[in-house]
Amino acid sequence: MLDKGRISSVQLMLVLFMVEMATAFLLVPSIVAQAAGPDSWLSVLGVATAYGLAVALICVALGKRFPFQVFTEYLPEVLGRVPGKLLAAAYTVVFIHLTSVVVGENSIFIHTVFLRETPPLIINLMMVGAAVYGVYLGVEVLARANEMVFPIFILSITILLALVAREIDLDHLRPVLANGPLPVLKGAMVPAAWRGEVFFLLLLYPYLNQKNEALKSAAGTVLMSGVFAATVTAVTIGVFSDLVASRQIYPVLNLARYISVAGILERLELYLIIIWMAGVIIKLAVFYHSCSVMAASTLGLKDYRVTVFPIALATIVISGRLYETDYLKLVEFLSKFWPFYGYTVELLIPGLILLVAVIRKKGGNRVDF
Amino acid sequence: MFKLFLTILRRINGRKTKIKEGAQSHWETTFETERRPISSSLEKNKAIVKEIFDRCDDLVIREIIISRKSPVRALVVYLDPMVNPDLLQHNLLRALLNVDEAPSNGITIAWLKEKVIPAGDIQEKKRWVEVGNGIAKGLVGIFVEGQGSVLLTSIFEDVSRSISQPTAEPLIRGPADAFNEDLRTNIALLRKRLHTTRLAVENLEIGELSKTAASLVYLKGYVTDELIHEVKERIQRIKIDGAHAGGYHEEFLQDNPYSLFNPIEPTERPDKLYGHLLEGAVGLMFENTPFAIIFPVTLPSQIQSPEDYYNHYWFASFIRLFRWAGFFFAIFLPSFYIAITTYHQELVPTPLLISIIASREGVPFPGFLEALLMELAFELLTEAGVRLPRAFGQTISIVGGIVIGQAAVNASLVSPILVIVVALTAVATYTIPSITLSNTVRMLRFPFMIAAAFMGLFGVVAGSMLLIFHLCSLRSFGVPYLSPLAPLSMGDLKDTFIRAPAWMMIMRPRLTGYVEPQRQPRGQKPRPPAPEGNRSLRWGRKK
Repeated sequence: MLDKGRISSVQLMLVLFMVEMATAFLLVPSIVAQAAGPDSWLSVLGVATAYGLAVALICVALGKRFPFQVFTEYLPEVLGRVPGKLLAAAYTVVFIHLTSVVVGENSIFIHTVFLRETPPLIINLMMVGAAVYGVYLGVEVLARANEMVFPIFILSITILLALVAREIDLDHLRPVLANGPLPVLKGAMVPAAWRGEVFFLLLLYPYLNQKNEALKSAAGTVLMSGVFAATVTAVTIGVFSDLVASRQIYPVLNLARYISVAGILERLELYLIIIWMAGVIIKLAVFYHSCSVMAASTLGLKDYRVTVFPIALATIVISGRLYETDYLKLVEFLSKFWPFYGYTVELLIPGLILLVAVIRKKGGNRVDF
Repeated sequence: MFKLFLTILRRINGRKTKIKEGAQSHWETTFETERRPISSSLEKNKAIVKEIFDRCDDLVIREIIISRKSPVRALVVYLDPMVNPDLLQHNLLRALLNVDEAPSNGITIAWLKEKVIPAGDIQEKKRWVEVGNGIAKGLVGIFVEGQGSVLLTSIFEDVSRSISQPTAEPLIRGPADAFNEDLRTNIALLRKRLHTTRLAVENLEIGELSKTAASLVYLKGYVTDELIHEVKERIQRIKIDGAHAGGYHEEFLQDNPYSLFNPIEPTERPDKLYGHLLEGAVGLMFENTPFAIIFPVTLPSQIQSPEDYYNHYWFASFIRLFRWAGFFFAIFLPSFYIAITTYHQELVPTPLLISIIASREGVPFPGFLEALLMELAFELLTEAGVRLPRAFGQTISIVGGIVIGQAAVNASLVSPILVIVVALTAVATYTIPSITLSNTVRMLRFPFMIAAAFMGLFGVVAGSMLLIFHLCSLRSFGVPYLSPLAPLSMGDLKDTFIRAPAWMMIMRPRLTGYVEPQRQPRGQKPRPPAPEGNRSLRWGRKK
């Protein structure tokens, strides 16, 4: 194990929730609304959750077989040395790319909405710097820091939604399933990939101190984020209607702009960005931690910390080259490629690995905890 | 950046030790004479004492003759300022001079120790090192002709001040006694509160040259042996010449030596130490300092004041919430001001924004410089207030209040809103009951102001995340510094942001008090007496 930290099952649940929701709550509603229309909340709540649960099940089953190793550490054991190492390397690269997507999401958001004249590089350096510091301190610190951030995150968004609740027009959400189930399924493509980030369980499993509660944590995360994301989506569409919501880049941000309480509490979008930043720093830290652990285990290093800095630099450069400040490029990736990319990485390959492990009888089946 | 800083620090450190490596540190060598055995000849001993205490003019060597029947010559050796002359004359010397009987085998040290000397603390020593150190500590040494050992007894002059009120941590409702510079008094103050054999007082020594006495106090069975072991090990690892009063030795005890935060809490209040002991913490008291230090300690417990437990719980909770707000204000208020005036004007309601802008109209500086100036001025004032002799106190308050406040505004150096912000920050800083925490907060303000000047609230948020990461990584003797919050233990939240009623405080804090988790039995919630029964005090029956 590359990190000596220990996290509890509740901490794991909250970390996974943050990994899924820190960016999703802002980006998903508009993308879903394009495909699913008024029924967006159904695709977020139902279909995506079902997919997330499937990922969680596979990950927990795989984790139980190799309780003290991260995903990339046992790949060579399952697949044989060369293919295993190759796949591990591929995973590292894929996750470095995914991390740079998160970096891009963040800098594009802050750049387009708030700091118009600040180069995205500066924003990235700031955010990545904070996250990297967390990574250096280890997974235990990340989990604890998340425990501080999580209540603020949930509470703030709940309050924001509550303050805007009087603008909801229920007609925007009715009739339910007007166009049949197909748009709901189509709409679920993107949020499902997001929900599949519960895959990070495989990279956090060794640190869990109550391993028998892994499934509870994972399922809890998926359900909790399902309810949360569905609420955000439903309120967004309830306020803006699906047509308007799907044509906005950040409908949730506009939701915050809608709030006006007694003429004093106005322009609350800044609070939204504070929450977003705190969440994204946690998310980035978990991503960097996982990436560097993957890289270190693939390369056979003793300490994962040496890989953090190069990976952080790489992600900043990659996100700068791929997306610059172009939201359209990013959203094209998110809505067209990311689902398939995500399904492969999160569900398909781990599922196959599990199958191979079962067939080749690798890993302990009954580990007593 | 940080790493670089660390390497530089290490370089500096390393070079210093290299220079010292060649030479034996001077305190480890004893005098040549101190290695000799104690002789049975009184004259020789006298010469050696004189040699050891060379150029110590406060040394008194009193030659006496013990016993009238079979006279034996003896020496009473002591350092004059350290010994109480009345007790010396009336108790020790009188007892020695008036010995009537003598045992058949002549007068021996053991006999004197058992029969003659009227003192509680008496030791027989055979080595010069011990004897020399004992006399240097203020003990009285008794040498007897023909005996190869020395009696050491204590008749200390009381050189400490009397017990006075706490100056750094005053309270309204609560005991008003404070520790002073005398270790014995301090332990007595603690023993007075805890009449139990469970209170352990372990004596230690810090400082190779000063040999400062220290006492480790804790409740046996409430603290894990590992913690005690760890504490003792860390204390024994300290090799310094003198243990300065205050935080000097604390720096050897920290888990995270480079952190701004110091998870060791000094206190001059016996009741605070007492409260922490009951929660499974350990106290370390030193001679010559009125501050005992407590560990492990957490950030939430540094926001608690002993007064929270003396006041009614509603009020205590109310005040504690304010103190938490004060903690956040003290860190973030100036940076918020900077962020809002420079970047996020839209956050402020329009009428207020207009008045802020109007008040800043004549001010030539950007918000950051303005705030920085005022904060620096405030820190200077605070420091001057601490350093100034009493007589100048008035001057400072006039200069501070009028010149810095009023005149700076009139001269349009700063805006009046900023004066409010700085004043509020200052007040908030001193609502934090812990001295170390409020000092840390005073320093933390400035990095956040810089972050706000660069990136507005974004910088502040990134900085806060760094702060959260750092705080989460800190430990105080193994206990996470943010402990009831992260890692979260729900049960302990009863005494974090609020203070639950005393009858609900059933469990001790989870991470420090887990050896004896239960503090008191359940079901002590007071309720009015049952309606039936003659002795009922209900209002219906009172008449």
